[in-house]
Amino acid sequence: MKNIILPTPNEETEFFWEGCKHHKLLFQKCNDCGFVRWPVNILCPECLSFNYSIIESKGRGFIFTYAIYHYAYHESFKEKLPYNVAIIKLNEGPMLLSNIIDCNNDELTCESPVEVVFEDIDDEVSLPKFKIIKKIKF
Amino acid sequence: MIKNPLRGCSAIAGIGYTEQGKIANRTALSFHTEACANAIKDAGIKKDDIDGLFIYRHFNTRSNEPDITPYLVAQQLGIKPDYLSEEANCARSHLYNAVSLLYSGLCKYILISYADNALLSKRTFVDEATHGEPFGDVAAFGQFGLVSAYAMAARRAMFENGTGPNVWKHIAMSTRAWANLNPRAIMHRKVMSEDDYFNSKYIVEPLRLFDCALINDGGRACVITTTERAKDLKNSPAVILGIGQSNPSYDIHQSFYMTKNSGAKRASELAMHMAKVTHKDIDALQIYDCFTYTVDLTLSDYGFYDYGHGEEFFNDKKTYPGGRLPMNTSGGLLSEAYFMGLTQLTEGAIQLMGRAEERQLGVLNGTKKPNIVLCSDNGAALQTHNCTILGSIDTL
Ligand SMILES: [Zn+2]
Repeated sequence: MKNIILPTPNEETEFFWEGCKHHKLLFQKCNDCGFVRWPVNILCPECLSFNYSIIESKGRGFIFTYAIYHYAYHESFKEKLPYNVAIIKLNEGPMLLSNIIDCNNDELTCESPVEVVFEDIDDEVSLPKFKIIKKIKF
Repeated sequence: MIKNPLRGCSAIAGIGYTEQGKIANRTALSFHTEACANAIKDAGIKKDDIDGLFIYRHFNTRSNEPDITPYLVAQQLGIKPDYLSEEANCARSHLYNAVSLLYSGLCKYILISYADNALLSKRTFVDEATHGEPFGDVAAFGQFGLVSAYAMAARRAMFENGTGPNVWKHIAMSTRAWANLNPRAIMHRKVMSEDDYFNSKYIVEPLRLFDCALINDGGRACVITTTERAKDLKNSPAVILGIGQSNPSYDIHQSFYMTKNSGAKRASELAMHMAKVTHKDIDALQIYDCFTYTVDLTLSDYGFYDYGHGEEFFNDKKTYPGGRLPMNTSGGLLSEAYFMGLTQLTEGAIQLMGRAEERQLGVLNGTKKPNIVLCSDNGAALQTHNCTILGSIDTL
């Protein structure tokens, strides 16, 4: 793999990426008002409380919106063109930027239900990606 | 009703242009200084009259150019202003600052400037986007820059209200038709048909190349002063009747206003209230068109048409040359040149000054002389918005 871009955890975001490594999607939840937040924040943007717990998301939600890149802004994405980037609205509340995998770009629609799938980049890094939950047909 | 004392207290008195387009041998700083010097000259004042200098956000220069700061622009112009300011991350605060400082008397003549050598620097507007996550944390998923941010907003709007390329084509094509009348416009000699629009390649779908602003070298500046002072200067002033600003601030990954109720809504309500005008009073629109979708959202948030009803609005060609509601008469950011909100603001002013030559409203067939022109400015990924209502001296 040549020159790929990886997340750069800092002291405050480390729990999230460490969670991903163990295939868990972790967020901060306010102990006072229950708001589940993203991006990482030392306080709750709803009530300004500093008290929070870390919760594990069930990893389900829907595609809020998406875009399809036809131009590579970085060489490591050239061979992936055209590729998608999506904003996932998780059932717990947070909006997370990711990719929808295992589907053709023309299958994408806003509001499609999705679930998390962890993509292991190496022993240390896993990225939370999403796949569309196909409706079971009887 | 008590008149807002800020209504009409200040005016644009001079405009500075530079060469623009692809220019092989100029630093970004050189465009700032040229645009500023030309604006001072156009206003008919002395450089030492300038006591306020604001520059728009600047982008990283090449390693062999100095970093651009308002200090350096002042130094190159040989001036020592009382007030210096540079916006960060595109918050469109210039006119709030300028009008407040002029009204309070802290400043008398204010210069506002934007310049870049984006083509020479091969800028792709990736590092300029502002997100809540560190760069690598979203770039790892292939998320880069502003085209994609607006593409995601546009996609959501297609889903929610049915807008799409059949609306955006009119924005691209009418803007281009205006550029064809403006010799300064980068796309002056290039006409755009509907086929040209649909055949332009996707950059980040659903946005095509012709949905995106130009990337160019050049600069733009203007001088703003009190209306009383402007009346004694050589140009007929473009009076600032109303201003409104709003900063919803949330980055696009967390945005809840990408399809309606963006900063444009509150900014326009504030501006129209101060200016004491309604939609029917507005003779021309200069709408910030970083992307066609931005115009679509802005016009709906401003109340010109309901969300998703752009086709009905644009189908009668009212925004094209000769139409009854001219829009982006210079060619805008899509087809004239990208100078952030100064492309719109200076075009609104030059039309009111009656100096727009071939594209002058009131001279061009089927148009009428404008008294009130609405200009918009927007920044980051819909995170900030300014609405400015300019009027001729007769509107005071
Ligand atoms: Zn809370």
